[in-house]
Formats: sequence, structure tokens, C-alpha cells
Amino acid sequence: MSTLIMIDQAPYGAWTGREALDMAFSLAAFDQPASLFFTGAGVNWLRQNQEAGGIGQKSVEKNLSAAPIFGIEAILADRAACETYGLDENSLIEGVTLVDADAALLNDYDHTAFAG
Amino acid sequence: MATIQTLHILNKSPEHPRAARCLEMVSEEDGLLLTGGGVLFLATGHLSGPGKVFALSPDIDARGLGDFKGSNAELVDFARMVKLSLEANRVISW
Repeated sequence: MSTLIMIDQAPYGAWTGREALDMAFSLAAFDQPASLFFTGAGVNWLRQNQEAGGIGQKSVEKNLSAAPIFGIEAILADRAACETYGLDENSLIEGVTLVDADAALLNDYDHTAFAG
Repeated sequence: MATIQTLHILNKSPEHPRAARCLEMVSEEDGLLLTGGGVLFLATGHLSGPGKVFALSPDIDARGLGDFKGSNAELVDFARMVKLSLEANRVISW
């Protein structure tokens, strides 16, 4: 059974995104196939050079870099949302696959869950 | 600098319904201070309304938006944010 975890909220404002990330990492750590999909304001998780020390937090960019270690199958990003927020290949972190957010994407997963 | 009538502090990201409501309310003599997810407006570029725009620098850095610092907002630190909120005749925290 494969699971897609969707993150559609901006980073740092709330804890729901980090909780979703923990959920995905937990699934993967127990050998359950899991992927992450970032859409809407959620694509801002994927920007390079996040320096969160000034607001007393750890950068979510560093959190995400652990995804391959836990065995997350794919980090997907909504192409249209990336354009909205001025994100392109040069400003995205490594290992992100741009996809179109449509029903066909969700067909590939047995279970899809949102953060928050 | 002229006194700010109302300082609108917006910490909601551009897709939050309250963000649109806030932008509708800003008038010429007001200030708009972007904090938290609100600084993402610098990346979307959807800030053409009236009023002076400020953005909290540590929140910009946290989100990796350094490239957008040259855009249409004046950058402020925490101390200046406090000062702005005291200088304004009133404050709305969205």
C-alpha cells in the first residue's frame, strides 16, 4: 500500500507540516512506501537557503534533506504552485520532481492524506 | 516620516482567505507589515495596493527569500517592528 502525504501550508507558521513530515518518515522507516507532495503555499518548504535561526527554529530544508535516508520514495512539487511562488530548478532544493497536480497523480497512491 | 494611521500586521500566507481581506482594507495612509507566512507575498509579487509595505527580515531569511529583498517592501528587524506598532495610531493583527 502506497501513501501520499500532501503539504499545502506554508512552512514555519504552524506545526502541521512538520507533523506530516514525521508521519511520512515514520511510514518509510517501517518500510511502507510513502511520498511527499507539496502544493499551494506548501511549495515554499522546498526553497534553498532557508536560514531560520533568526526566528528560533530549525530550517525545514534540513528536515527534508533526511527524506532519502528514511526511504521516502519521491518528493513531488506542484509545477503551477512553484511558478506562483517564483520557484524554479535553480531555487528548489535537490531531489524534487515537478508534477502537474491532477487526478492522474493521485491514482498512483492507495492512500492520500493532508497535513492539518 | 508621516504617521501611520493603521498598521496592518499580516502573518497569513497569500492563499489564506484572511490575507485577501487584509489587503482590501489597507488605505493610502496605512502601513502593511508582513510577518511569518505573509512575507511570501514578496515571492508572488501580488502587492500593488496603497500604503507603505514593511517586511520582517528574519522571517524572509527563514524562508530563503533573500533574492526578493530588493522588492517593494522596506525591511525591518524585531526592534523596528515594535517601534512601528507604537508609532501607528492603531494596529490590526490579521
